[in-house]
Amino acid sequence: MFGKLIYLLRRALRNIRQSPFLCTASVGTVAVSLCILAFFAIIVLNVQSLTRHWSRDVQVVAYFDTVPAREQRQSLIKQAMVLPGVQSVEFIDAQQAYSSFKERLGDDAILLDGLENDFLPASLRLTLDENSRNRHGVDSVVRRLKKIAAFSDFRYGQDWLDRFESFVTLIRISGVVLGGFLLFATLFIVANTIKLTIYARREELEIMALVGGTPLFIKTPFLLEGALQGALGGTLALGLSWLLFNFFLQQGLEALLLASGVDQVVFLPAIHQGMVVLTGVLLGFLGSLVSLHRLARA
Amino acid sequence: MIQLYNVCKSYSREGSALEDVNLKIPKGDFVYITGPSGAGKSTLLKLLYVAEKPTRGQILINGQNVTRMGPVKIPYLRRQIGIVFQDFKLISTRTIFENVAFPLEVRGRKRFEISKKVYQMLKNVGLEHKLAKHPLELSGGEQQRVAIARALVMEPLVLLADEPTGNLDPDATLEIMELFKGANARGTTVLLATHDREMIRRFPRRQICLEHGRLIDDLTP
Repeated sequence: MFGKLIYLLRRALRNIRQSPFLCTASVGTVAVSLCILAFFAIIVLNVQSLTRHWSRDVQVVAYFDTVPAREQRQSLIKQAMVLPGVQSVEFIDAQQAYSSFKERLGDDAILLDGLENDFLPASLRLTLDENSRNRHGVDSVVRRLKKIAAFSDFRYGQDWLDRFESFVTLIRISGVVLGGFLLFATLFIVANTIKLTIYARREELEIMALVGGTPLFIKTPFLLEGALQGALGGTLALGLSWLLFNFFLQQGLEALLLASGVDQVVFLPAIHQGMVVLTGVLLGFLGSLVSLHRLARA
Repeated sequence: MIQLYNVCKSYSREGSALEDVNLKIPKGDFVYITGPSGAGKSTLLKLLYVAEKPTRGQILINGQNVTRMGPVKIPYLRRQIGIVFQDFKLISTRTIFENVAFPLEVRGRKRFEISKKVYQMLKNVGLEHKLAKHPLELSGGEQQRVAIARALVMEPLVLLADEPTGNLDPDATLEIMELFKGANARGTTVLLATHDREMIRRFPRRQICLEHGRLIDDLTP
């Protein structure tokens, strides 16, 4: 079994050696197509990190009617901490609220002159975990908080949250539609290129069948060849997109995203790099499979 | 070895290619299939190596009914049949050695055994000194000898040849016929489709004549 696999692999490699031009065409097509896809993935990933950054501002502030006693406050914090989706809870007393407000006013802080520093209500500031930083998560936390009678009002930037949700949805839908379109186009181009390479060897396929080659014996080297070409194309696509990222894309994305608060613009993480190569392997394999199937039918 | 019962083959466009053919070819026989172009010679051979299936009738090869044979079994039947074509059908990107070795690789033979057998077979057809060359570096007659070596290296029960000398000069034709005679002498059943009357005259054997898809004569010299 192992010996047979080695033999089939050797035949696949010999096919590649014997048709360097066709092989280069297939590898090149996979590389260029996946490079475009990788480019798109880099942009989507970095824009997603921007939305993640913005989502840190999603907080729920629950205002107290009257400032609770120390023990009651601790109990309320504990109750809030165990609510699903809550990451951390911070008590803000009237003085802290005043200082924070004054800081936000900046040069206009003069407006507060003559006022006591305890006129603002004390509150609990709830930071949500990443998965709950959306309209549904916020609503769920607020609904539960309302059952606790100690709070008089809630603020969570309702308008801003709606706009943020729309933006995230737009990014997600664009990613799926454009990514799907690119992937389909890539499969189409790769399958047709491989079809040409297999068509050029149709005589060889016919002879294999005439001397008693089983379908598995005939097809396996072509499938392995497609997968190898796909892997090579995927690796080249990674290298190419890394070069283009460093020389062009990084600067462009930095200009766009750093000003919006993102810490740094990043290349594809290791798992995505693996996925690019794996997509290449799958594209090559599927392209060969589809082409062999069509040729067999013809 | 080969039996055909009421075999018909028709195509939707060209109409009937074979009509009601009944035939028995014993083991070790040498048979010419003759007739003008379009008589059905190639169609008959295609049915025998199961490239196509008959529209009606039954075909038995070495006791196996190929009419009902599924696609999984066909490759194993073909390993018992050697096929030679007018246009040689050699793989141009492979050497002569690799072309002849191919059927043995298909059968999963060991490399040492393949080398030994291929060299012996190329020696039998007088091409052992050209084993590293590619088909297009050889003459037509030499290419056909390679094709015959490839067909015989598996020691087939049946050898089918479709106009094997159609593209060759008289000297090359003689060489090829000697190879077929040799294979037949070693026990291989040979079916050779041709319309070369001169060849039949020089090497007289049983002759099956087809015309418009019908078997019109079965002559034994």
